[in-house]
Amino acid sequence: MNTRSTPTEPTASRATQDAPAIEITGLAKGFGGGERRVRAVAGVDLTVGRGEIVALLGPNGAGKTTTIDMLLGLSDPDEGAVEVLGQSPRQAVASGRLSALLQTGGLLSDLTVAETVDVIASFHGARARVTEVMERTGLAPIAKRKVSKCSGGEQQRIKFALALLPDPDVLVLDEPTTGMDVVARRSFWEAMAEEARAGRTIVFATHYLEEAEQFAQRTVVMNRGKIVADGATAELRAALGGRTVTATLPGPVNTVTVGAILDALKQGGLLDGLQATDMQIDASGIMRVRTARSDALAAKLLELGAHDLEIVAPTLETAFTALTQDAGE
Amino acid sequence: MLFSRTFYLTEVKRQLRNPYTLAFTLAMPIAMYLLFGANAAYADSSAGHGNVAFYVMCSMAAFGAATAMSSICSIAASEVGQGWGRQIAMTPLSIAGYAAVKLVTALSFSALSTAAVFLVGATTGAKADDGWRWAAVAGLILAGGLIFGLFGLGVGLAFNSDSAAALASISITFFGFFGNVFMPLDGVMLDIAHFTPMYGYVALVRWPITEGVLVSGGSDELWVVLLNVLVWTALFAVLTRFGVLRSRRRR
Repeated sequence: MNTRSTPTEPTASRATQDAPAIEITGLAKGFGGGERRVRAVAGVDLTVGRGEIVALLGPNGAGKTTTIDMLLGLSDPDEGAVEVLGQSPRQAVASGRLSALLQTGGLLSDLTVAETVDVIASFHGARARVTEVMERTGLAPIAKRKVSKCSGGEQQRIKFALALLPDPDVLVLDEPTTGMDVVARRSFWEAMAEEARAGRTIVFATHYLEEAEQFAQRTVVMNRGKIVADGATAELRAALGGRTVTATLPGPVNTVTVGAILDALKQGGLLDGLQATDMQIDASGIMRVRTARSDALAAKLLELGAHDLEIVAPTLETAFTALTQDAGE
Repeated sequence: MLFSRTFYLTEVKRQLRNPYTLAFTLAMPIAMYLLFGANAAYADSSAGHGNVAFYVMCSMAAFGAATAMSSICSIAASEVGQGWGRQIAMTPLSIAGYAAVKLVTALSFSALSTAAVFLVGATTGAKADDGWRWAAVAGLILAGGLIFGLFGLGVGLAFNSDSAAALASISITFFGFFGNVFMPLDGVMLDIAHFTPMYGYVALVRWPITEGVLVSGGSDELWVVLLNVLVWTALFAVLTRFGVLRSRRRR
């Protein structure tokens, strides 16, 4: 598409009009030397349009934080390029259009909440917004408290306030609700919904799969430095296909009886196309099958005398687990 | 954005709230001056172009300034390494902007320490032959104090923890005792003192009064004193470089 040489100063029109919010191409970064070199990010391509809300999921070591660091200009890629709103990340940060809530960012423990917000606001030239931002993030009641005396959730709120100060177009959040209790988490996501309605582009990394499910239109799953899935959150579940049928098999559970049941299912073609990972039978006779033909399978199992039937639609969690397991094979 | 007034004022407020800063840069120099300078029997005897009280006042002000510079600069380095640096990396503040405010803050406290000790000195009988000597000493204290800013920076980068500032201040006190800053040394101790980090700095600060003449007899030539300052500046620069490398590896 474009030549990926060192970006020179982009023209104003490209930067403000047609550039996507985030454009990452061929991104790669490794750590360590020689034999012990680890490819934390091993070829990532991602485009995020304006106003999108994207969840970034992945197990520890998937490369999310390294990718986010490069997205924010905090570290340089070995290969590939990152552009935010048509500019380099550092330019986007300097112009206040890109900001972030960092998991690894720290606060000064001997400053008060108000002083912290005020100082950062002064760097952005945004001191006029301090009162408003502190109201929005619920920091007004604890304005005079020293940061060291603030709880983990309160410190997260401070970092959130700092991210909102420049009134950014693109907001990146790395595990934003760490340390928050259920109530705080809910009010955080309510505040975020407001930000989304205002048209901000939001990318957030999270371990809480419910958050991705409830809040992100689009989910990107990373594993071992690569993107293994990227699509509408709802589709991710459907793409996995099928529901999980759970039932307890009848009678004594041994290889003979179980074999007979499996034969019966096979005869009805109900096990066609299933992978080995799609079915488990444990020693107490509980059978768990992931299949697109859940109704027919359930009916047949009941016919064969199985009981305690359960049919469950896959959650993002199962999709996530399946994707990261499959990719690892 | 080069210099943020809000940031500077917050930094000053912050240091004024810090009991360690106040103790080491104000209370200790003033107390030591009163103890060894103003109230000593020999306070009014001559030390060259000023009296002994003035001589002690110079030494203590220099100590206070060196402590201010090293502790504030080491705090600056270690807080950047500990995560605050990433937070401000998400703002338009440049490294130059950050360094400028921190340096001016350190110099402000250096000046505060000097002014406080001079004020106490002036009101308790410290005398110099000419008015300009007061200004000369103050100038040497502030300019020379920059070396200890470099020292503090190196310590903060290399050790990167909350205790780095304490380490820096305690080191300065240590250097003071062995560097002929507090009590006059003589004999072998004095010979060794010539090689310690604070010796050259404080000898230079006292030069408008002593012109190199030592309390215990004999005198230093100017080049000896300047050499000490230069060598230790270079060593502190090496420490800082080592600290930068160490902090990079940590990331």
